[in-house]
Amino acid sequence: MHSESPEDRDALREKIIGLGETSLHKSYYPELQSRLAELERFRALLDQTYDAIFLIRADTGKLADINASARQYLGYSREELLAKPFIDLISPQQKAWLVEFVQKSGDQLSKPGQTFTAPLVSRSGTEIPMEITVRSVTFGAEQYVVAVARDITDRIRTERELRIKESALESSTNGILIADLTGAVMYANRSCAAMFGYERADAIAGRNLEAFFADPTVGEKVTVHLLANPAIVQETVGLRSNGSPFHIQISGSVVQNDAGQPLCIMLIVMDITDRILNEQMKRETYAQLGKNIEQFAILGDHIRNPLQVIVGYAEMIDDPFAKRILEQARRIDDLVAELDRGWVESANVRQFLRRHGEGVEPSEEVFFHFSNRKQEDI
Amino acid sequence: MIQRSQLDLRKFVVPEFICGHGALQLAGRYARNFGMKQVLLVTDPGVRAAGWAGAVGESLVEAGVSFTVFDSISVNPRSRQVMAGMETYLAEECNGIVAVGGGSPMDCAKGIGIASSNMRDIRTFEGVDRVPVPAPPLICIPTTAGSSADVSQFAIITDEERKRKIGIVSKAVVPDISLLDPEPLTTMSRDLTVDSGIDTLSHAVETYVSNASSPMTDVHALEAIRLITSTLPAVLEEPDNLNLRFSTLLASLHAGLAFSNASVGAAHAMAHSLGGAYDLVHGRCNALLLEHVMAANYEAEPERYNRIGAIIGRGGATPAEKVAAFRRALGVTETLAAVGVREDAIPALAEAAYNDPCMVTNPRNFTCEDIERIYMYAF
Repeated sequence: MHSESPEDRDALREKIIGLGETSLHKSYYPELQSRLAELERFRALLDQTYDAIFLIRADTGKLADINASARQYLGYSREELLAKPFIDLISPQQKAWLVEFVQKSGDQLSKPGQTFTAPLVSRSGTEIPMEITVRSVTFGAEQYVVAVARDITDRIRTERELRIKESALESSTNGILIADLTGAVMYANRSCAAMFGYERADAIAGRNLEAFFADPTVGEKVTVHLLANPAIVQETVGLRSNGSPFHIQISGSVVQNDAGQPLCIMLIVMDITDRILNEQMKRETYAQLGKNIEQFAILGDHIRNPLQVIVGYAEMIDDPFAKRILEQARRIDDLVAELDRGWVESANVRQFLRRHGEGVEPSEEVFFHFSNRKQEDI
Repeated sequence: MIQRSQLDLRKFVVPEFICGHGALQLAGRYARNFGMKQVLLVTDPGVRAAGWAGAVGESLVEAGVSFTVFDSISVNPRSRQVMAGMETYLAEECNGIVAVGGGSPMDCAKGIGIASSNMRDIRTFEGVDRVPVPAPPLICIPTTAGSSADVSQFAIITDEERKRKIGIVSKAVVPDISLLDPEPLTTMSRDLTVDSGIDTLSHAVETYVSNASSPMTDVHALEAIRLITSTLPAVLEEPDNLNLRFSTLLASLHAGLAFSNASVGAAHAMAHSLGGAYDLVHGRCNALLLEHVMAANYEAEPERYNRIGAIIGRGGATPAEKVAAFRRALGVTETLAAVGVREDAIPALAEAAYNDPCMVTNPRNFTCEDIERIYMYAF
């Protein structure tokens, strides 16, 4: 340190004398200003939050401080709010309950997370549903309660809408299954549970889709298909909890988040056993009808051939009864002609039924069909 | 040598102080007025045993101010003790400090204050004007008459790792108020009375010849020399005499007001070096060095030294000889060798002294070799 220059020592001496740039008398003011600026910054931060923050004097219940959101929600000026007890801001129906809550909470208020919901009443009288978290704090020797109120208007509306949607799902006469992307069932409504023979809907949750189809690969195939396509409609064979098969139609789609990423799949399941059996019965009836029509045509020919012989013989004989035989033969021929016309009409009816799909092949609208079972196998 | 003129720029900083019998009992009132809610009461075991920390504590309680005692402080307070005090200050959520004791507790209290307000190791403040955030309010109640730490801008802390004292010089460490009560001085031992009294004399002499002295500091320095040389021998005879004790307290106050503004010189720089290396009592180090520094400085300020000699009066031909006679009369007769200083350590001691901030206001610019020679005179 021998190298310290005279200039350095002169500068040091100046500072020791008190003439240095920062050789100032001890003053708390710059630090005070710095702390005040810090507080201002913190207040600005609090004012930016959407939550309404109230500092309440524990002894009087009056407000000691509030942030900007509290003023904006309630429509009072800061001065007006600071003159009010916090309880006056609570909906009249909830006041007694809140007093009881605070008394019951007691020491618990010093711990975080004491939360209740109650409407706050704005200057205009509007009740704003709020979730309010309270905590007891001590500043210096003063006891306060900090209440942070969050507007839950949107949340309540969303919850109500969600409940309606849940009720709609639950009360649907169609079975509804929601499964994750691995095929594990997350939700099944009552109809679905009943359809598959389960006593309770929650007995289905957690099972894999393969448990619900006679062909266990159907669940996986449906999932794979839905990850590549927007929807699927398919008729297949379901499997009840007791192992008995039944006809179902499934309509599936993928549920996506806002970013378009798949979250889960939803299947609407309809029991189509009655329809399938009806169709089968119609097909059989129609086939019988065709057979009958053909038999009518053959029967007409079978009748006409001997009738032609009878007419031939009758024309060859000269007998007073021949005329009457010919008359009866013509009547029989008319009857056969009548039967022929009936056969043509029946053929037209069959043509009409074919054209309009009654009792014929399944719907042309099926997008996808896995089952290699023939209709007549079931 | 720096040429002086009465037109030179000078500053004079005086903290608030209350002096007189019963001043100690005002501690609580002032703590409350400073907004203190939880005080760190900084003291040492000796002062606590003497009952003065308890008396201040009672005053705080009466004023409704809570406090926590921190007394883990030795002579020549260590940097670790300062940092331990800072931890206590923060852990107890204190917002003010009351120091009761001699130079060690008061310097430690200053260190605790700036370390906690700046959240830094105390050793990083070494030097002049290196305290950016002032310490929290500090009330000092001196129980010795010598260090003048209760009114000064100095805090001297021992860096244990480097075995040297570091000087923290800043207006930010000047206490907010000093309560100067003569009664606590009555429990000082004879040795402590002598060492702190000679410390007062050293402050006053070195300030009067400081190249930063001013008319204002001169008044206080000369009054301090007059008071301490006239009353110290008497107070040793009558240690319970409050008037005599008060005179030594006033002497210390005058010396403190002087040296806090004009600083001191080579004797203090060398005493800091010596005390840091050998953990010797600061006042005793000054007692062994002052006359030799005066002799070495004499040619730089003969008139001022002669005036000092005139005030001291009898005892020798030169001012230095008079100071030597004065300390011998007080029973201080040893040498540096006698207190354990090794001759081969002197170059290192001289180098540390050369770099001490007190050296820059010495009336003569000493080289390290000059300083070594002075040590050898005292050896």
